[in-house]
Amino acid sequence: MSTQTKQPVIVERTYKATLADIWALWTTKAGFESWWGPQGFRADVHAIEPKVGGALRYDMVADSPEMIEAMKKMGRPPSHPTTARFTELSPETHLVITNVIDFLPGVAIYESTITVDLTAKGDRVQMVVILSPMHSDEMGQMQKEGFTSQLTKLDRFA
Amino acid sequence: MFMQLDVFETLADPTRRRIVEVLRDGEKQVNEVVEKAGIHQSGVSRHLRILLEAGFVNVRPDGQRRYYGLRPEPFRELESWLDRYKRLWDERLDRFGAALEKKQKKGRQS
Repeated sequence: MSTQTKQPVIVERTYKATLADIWALWTTKAGFESWWGPQGFRADVHAIEPKVGGALRYDMVADSPEMIEAMKKMGRPPSHPTTARFTELSPETHLVITNVIDFLPGVAIYESTITVDLTAKGDRVQMVVILSPMHSDEMGQMQKEGFTSQLTKLDRFA
Repeated sequence: MFMQLDVFETLADPTRRRIVEVLRDGEKQVNEVVEKAGIHQSGVSRHLRILLEAGFVNVRPDGQRRYYGLRPEPFRELESWLDRYKRLWDERLDRFGAALEKKQKKGRQS
């Protein structure tokens, strides 16, 4: 799939679980809030509509004293609203969440995607998460050219 | 996980990426870069200056000659940003696993 060759970061896990349990963690308010984070943050979900075109809106809220202080030092508010959509979805097997990235100073608004594929394997489920992170197009293109993966070779110039 | 914009912005330009690719083989004079990158001299000079200012490239004078080479620092920065991003997701999926276990335990109890 063309979207996959462009994506720079892939994380993969296998859990002893049912597809339904894993799906619920991605597509229900309680489920999503129970793990999203990231570290030092919690997610307060305002809308989660698991259907194609459905909204995913949440606030990323700094919830440790250290993180609140760190955000303050960076001149950022302790809470940031995030707007995303489910842009592809097949129940219990595949979803794509498209995020609108509008909070990076000096960077035009753009979208990044999170693609999740679930495959049942006996009593386990393999979950593959493909991320197109920041500066999506350029990063994707660099990755495609084998640019980022070869970076360590530059160490010989040190 | 706030990235360094400069590193990304510098490499966002395909001509600069091409020049960096060419310099990966080792330091070169401008005319060699022009030849290998297939880019007009004025373009190479302009982009080399940007790469110099951004700290991607250094110059080593040797008599009348000037050799351009890559500096590893910005690439390390880029790599460490990618590492951090990957780690953020590793941690996130650790929490995913923990949340899943909790949910399963709860399911068994009820």
